[in-house]
Amino acid sequence: MSFDLNFIGILIGAIMASSVPLILAASGELITERSGVLNLGVEGMMIIGAISGFALMVVTDNLFFAVVGSMLSGLIISLIFGLLTQSLLTNHVATGLALTIFGIGMSAMIGKNFVGIPGKEFPLLFINLKESIPFLGPVFFGHSIILYFAFGLPFLTNYFLKKTKTGLIIRAVGDSPTSASNQGINVTLVRYSCILYGGAMCGLAGAYLSLIYTPQWIENMTGGRGWIALALVVFATWSPIKVLIGALIFGGITILQLHMQAVGLRIPVQLLSALPYIMTIIVLVVISRDSRKIKLNTPTSLGQIFYKEK
Amino acid sequence: MNTKLKVSEISKIYPGCIANDKVSLEFGSGKIYALLGENGAGKSTLVKILSGVVKPDDGEVFLNNESIKLNSPLDAKKNNIGMVFQHFNLFETLSVFENLSIDSDKKDEELRELVNDILKKYNFKIDLDIPVLNLSAGQKQKVEIIRCLIRNPKVLIMDEPTSVLTEQETDDLFISLKQFSKDGILIIYITHKLKEVLSLCDEVAVMRKGKVVSVSNTIDEKIESLANKMVGENLNTIKKKINNFKNSKEILKISNLNFKSDDPYETNLNNLNLSLKKGECLGIAGISGNGQNELFQILSGEIITKGTSIMFRNKEIGKLNPRERREYLMAFSPEDRISQAAVPELKIYENVALNNFKSSNFFEKGLVNEKKIKEHSKKILSNFSVNTDNVELKSQFLSGGNLQKLIIGRELITSPELLVCFNPTWGLDVGAINYIHETLIQINEQGKSSILISTDNDELLKLSDRICVIYKGKLSKIMNADTVTAEKLGILMGGGSID
Repeated sequence: MSFDLNFIGILIGAIMASSVPLILAASGELITERSGVLNLGVEGMMIIGAISGFALMVVTDNLFFAVVGSMLSGLIISLIFGLLTQSLLTNHVATGLALTIFGIGMSAMIGKNFVGIPGKEFPLLFINLKESIPFLGPVFFGHSIILYFAFGLPFLTNYFLKKTKTGLIIRAVGDSPTSASNQGINVTLVRYSCILYGGAMCGLAGAYLSLIYTPQWIENMTGGRGWIALALVVFATWSPIKVLIGALIFGGITILQLHMQAVGLRIPVQLLSALPYIMTIIVLVVISRDSRKIKLNTPTSLGQIFYKEK
Repeated sequence: MNTKLKVSEISKIYPGCIANDKVSLEFGSGKIYALLGENGAGKSTLVKILSGVVKPDDGEVFLNNESIKLNSPLDAKKNNIGMVFQHFNLFETLSVFENLSIDSDKKDEELRELVNDILKKYNFKIDLDIPVLNLSAGQKQKVEIIRCLIRNPKVLIMDEPTSVLTEQETDDLFISLKQFSKDGILIIYITHKLKEVLSLCDEVAVMRKGKVVSVSNTIDEKIESLANKMVGENLNTIKKKINNFKNSKEILKISNLNFKSDDPYETNLNNLNLSLKKGECLGIAGISGNGQNELFQILSGEIITKGTSIMFRNKEIGKLNPRERREYLMAFSPEDRISQAAVPELKIYENVALNNFKSSNFFEKGLVNEKKIKEHSKKILSNFSVNTDNVELKSQFLSGGNLQKLIIGRELITSPELLVCFNPTWGLDVGAINYIHETLIQINEQGKSSILISTDNDELLKLSDRICVIYKGKLSKIMNADTVTAEKLGILMGGGSID
């Protein structure tokens, strides 16, 4: 195993690629949770996004339709969650869990005919730059457009929540839906919008897996990434930038421990496989220790059903 | 600017209760109107209707002789009706300015200028860029008022605004309200405090059981006349005989107790010292949020402290948990009846069983002895005149007063030596308050001690032998109750000093 600079660059590029689905799904879920809605269906929405993106790619042979379609299908699945929790006032936790189970089953059913079909090559940007600049080339160039979007998203989300009126309204609803409603804010509409946005981002995260990262359809291919995304949001104390850091640590240690396994270090494989989970939690807990900030960032009404007095 | 507001034949029926029964009232600008009534008289429902939060089943609202529809809070805002709720409608984690900007169409710079003008005009001092959770209750209320003033209100409705304020803050509020009234804003002031009606308002409408029972000029009224109209019967007032406990045995002693919390919502306690004699009632006054919660939890054992700082009947109890303290004959009635003192989804007898002593044998070999618990519960229900004899009833179906009687009964039936209660009559009607007060006086007469942490000064003056004030986690000097007046308490509660 050589340790030349270019290899490290390629390694960092791989780490970035592996953290993209986490960043996308967690950023979406972060907006949903900031409005006070706890959607545990992230895994389900991701896998639906993955299969519908892949299926559309095979059927239409058009990657643009595939990506947009995956976002739409994530959105539709989250609409079911919205209808149940916001209009029929069901429990957020139970509904989200059901959504995940439904998504996994549904994707396996649709995906039966798509197993073993090779994926289409997704256009990568700045390929020539990647090869001509050592180290920095493979870090910054030769990625898909979705990766660049994903790395911009946490900053956009941060700006949106802190600086825009809509972001303020979302935070207000997450803080106290009753107060918001008494101020004339349509709480249900705000929460629906956040749920749908979260769904679309999870759909996109799934599409990234089946169209770019793997790229093919494998049953259950999200492999728990939805749950990691959910945990990231909480451990990052609802801060988009910390979500990005957490996702990178998780992606990084996942890739590194694979290399360590390949080298044949005398550490049990099970321990190495558990490493990304342990390290991500430790790091996020350590960087999120300011209890005042936690209070200010935590959506106080998270998971509470909002019922408007008539 | 002349404003006339008229409500006509407003009715609102909830399952099992008529909240408003054909309520008709007229208001005009330039005056301050009081809407007076006990809890559950229908005042809050009426103002919720006026602010568009609740829709009436029947009736109409007229603003300047035009019928207006108030289907949502937005409609109320459009019609320039501003409302300050008893429970603040603020977003605790957002900054003051964010709270104000959320329902304003103005640009940030414009709004900031406007808010600064209002702050200057009415002499309010509030930092606009700190989170609301760092403000005192009085400041939060000012934020609510500013939020209304931004929209140039014709009508300003205040729902029980002084329940969270110090005497000083109340005075300030009254000065502001009079100023608003001079500026042409029609003010409707909802309260159950008679003194406030007389000192602030020009006209008073009294509500009872959903109906308006009287409308009059406040000049023609006295405290007694208003009280009788409000309650509908002549009340006998209780007054405790204040005793001297110099020679009695000391039962509780807290010395140099400190508590530091990691939670920014909690208050730290600094160097607490107090002692309590047998048969004595110690009152602890203060505005909520000054450390009462923490003090109660330290007494009850929800917060564990160093062993030596709390001595009860010559034992160190600081390290004991609530159950062990109960075994040593302490008893507790927390502030929040529904979530701290009782489990609302459980039946009455199950709630009684939660307070389980080794000697009561409620549980045998790990099994619940239902028969024993039910007998015990029946005894509580009859001894403490709870308005039911059905021990299978879920506790959530008891009214606040009956639930409080059940809780106090559960605590007292084992004859504890010390009862610690925190706002025991909060939100109760006059009848239940009287009963609880009589019970508390009775236990002192039986030689048992009590600590009464309360935000109701009248209650403290009525029941305590000695009184002190808690302010920002510090206790004032402990004073004999007969030397204390409401004014003195007010000064101490606001952080002032007296001598």
